[in-house]
Amino acid sequence: MSMQHDAVVIGAGPAGLAAASRLAELGLDVLTLDEQFRLGGQIYRHIEKASDQQFRFLGDDYARGQILAARFRKSGAKYESSATVWQIEPDGSICYSRHGKSKRIKGSYIIAATGAMERPVPLPGWNLPGVIGAGAANNLAKEAGLQPDVPLVIAGSGPLLLLEATQLIKKGAKIEAILDTTPQIPPLSAAPKIPPALLRTDFLLKGVAMMQMIRRSSVPYLKGVTDIRCLGSEQVTGVEARQGDRTLTFDAKMVLLHFGVIPNTHIFRQAGCRMAWKNDQRYWHPVCDNWGRTNFERIFAAGDGAAVYGALAAEYKGELAALETARCLGILPEYERDALAAPLRAALKKDMYPRPLIDALFSPHFDATALPDETVLCRCEHVTVGDIRKVVAEGVHEVNEVKIITRSGMGPCQGRMCGPALAEIVASESGVSIQKAGLLNIRPPLKPIPLDEVATMDLGPDGSGPANLFKNQSK
Amino acid sequence: MFKQQHPTKAVSVLLDGRPSSLPGGMSVAAALLATGEIVSRLSPSSGKPCSPHCLMGICYECLMEIDGYQRQACMTEVQEGMVINRNILKNKEDQHEHAA
Ligand SMILES: Cc1cc2nc3c(=O)[nH]c(=O)nc-3n(C[C@H](O)[C@H](O)[C@H](O)COP(=O)(O)OP(=O)(O)OC[C@H]3O[C@@H](n4cnc5c(N)ncnc54)[C@H](O)[C@@H]3O)c2cc1C
Ligand code: FES
Repeated sequence: MSMQHDAVVIGAGPAGLAAASRLAELGLDVLTLDEQFRLGGQIYRHIEKASDQQFRFLGDDYARGQILAARFRKSGAKYESSATVWQIEPDGSICYSRHGKSKRIKGSYIIAATGAMERPVPLPGWNLPGVIGAGAANNLAKEAGLQPDVPLVIAGSGPLLLLEATQLIKKGAKIEAILDTTPQIPPLSAAPKIPPALLRTDFLLKGVAMMQMIRRSSVPYLKGVTDIRCLGSEQVTGVEARQGDRTLTFDAKMVLLHFGVIPNTHIFRQAGCRMAWKNDQRYWHPVCDNWGRTNFERIFAAGDGAAVYGALAAEYKGELAALETARCLGILPEYERDALAAPLRAALKKDMYPRPLIDALFSPHFDATALPDETVLCRCEHVTVGDIRKVVAEGVHEVNEVKIITRSGMGPCQGRMCGPALAEIVASESGVSIQKAGLLNIRPPLKPIPLDEVATMDLGPDGSGPANLFKNQSK
Repeated sequence: MFKQQHPTKAVSVLLDGRPSSLPGGMSVAAALLATGEIVSRLSPSSGKPCSPHCLMGICYECLMEIDGYQRQACMTEVQEGMVINRNILKNKEDQHEHAA
């Protein structure tokens, strides 16, 4: 396979598939890399292998992925599955690992469509076996047709939590309780957000239908829940929580947690993209222009990895990034790019109407002060919230310094699981702003790669040595 | 823990030294969960058992030795003849031996 491409798209979810299809349809040489062994990203996971029963169960929102996948296959875009990108550079260089071999290739442009992840919110016992993400359980259902068959509790907040709950109710799972941590009285800030949302009644009706199904089921649905802890020593055995003055306890062999989704930003941070803090949703995202271009000319961000707006918006944004890339490559004149972009921008606008309301209703309300000291924050290195508090109390108020002292964020996940909460804890304990508390520095490789693989890798077009691939790994 | 809605074609693997049959067409992590094997490893830092948490390559709780290398079981498709070692019987096995 050639080492130089017009564009390399990273991620084969809705954003990546749409971007790659459009570029290939315009006659460009585009390679799509995704670390999953099948295409579809998170929402359309397993789309090309799904059974009729899965299509019936998951409905139109899932079936849309089939159209995208078929378009992608037909477009002639090249695609490598099981391809983990572990470094990108502003000049378009990309290092990735596939089946135990790494290589370095170049794209004139990179469209990084790496998607979102479930917001990791530490709570006591969240690292016990049997405690998994609600979105993760959804992944298991799509990928492998797995359905929980033990008593379980669903806890957290957000539309995906309710979606997973309704799917499990339909399947007859043994749900002991749904513990919703969304505050009982919707925040006042939600009220002005309602009118634009009314323009999308289809969307609102979906939400209403989900709530009705939950309320009509025999599953206890508790709102305004706080202080959740998962109980057990070797495996989860139950959940304890509070609702007002009441202490609630449930037996459970499985707990599904979900606190919304945030962009998966490691690749942008590794590249050195400028990042911005979105305060209402409490996450960092790469700064982009309205085509998705980051501060680097050759690196675009598309989809939920750039900011979380859901699958349809991801698709439109992937396509917009592709149109601008095609213009840069001299394939489309500006007026044609704009003509092709106009219907996409209109669709995007319509799709976004309900978003301010959803964001306001489910705005994150992580209270770092409420976490008990013994809560494990960093799973990889077993660092507790108390360990962080101690260091902050000694006057260390920046996350990378806290990381060096406590090792939080130094394990194989590179702070993917502890980073967001680490910053919240440092900020709330020290009183500095979250922007000042900072963002963990990310160095290549983005994922641990065996050293012998790096030593024997194919270095690609300009053949520079691996020595400068791992700069400054100490921090 | 989980039940599989439709059976898939089984593959034979060597799991922790024992010949075992796992459902195919899915990740190693999903295949293990489907057969009730919920512990994916012992945490190298605390020695406590872990199970897959994110199922999308983020958390590294599913890290195990697959065909000689530490791999994320949730991102690796289960294959006929795979040799999978979770090292869950020995305490404090150095899980990072091969990883950079
Ligand atoms: C666990 C989970 C489940 C979800 N389920 C639903 C759902 O059922 N319904 C719904 O409406 N929304 C769901 N969402 C939200 C949904 O992810 C998005 O709206 C949509 O999938 C975003 O599309 P995307 O193309 O931006 O990213 P994604 O669909 O997430 O695709 C990103 C792709 O990039 C790949 N990737 C990431 N990093 C790398 C790398 N370094 N190298 C190579 N490949 C990489 C990933 O493997 C992934 O396939 C879910 C989110 C999560 C986290
Ligand atoms: S389960 Fe999280 S990385 Fe595999």
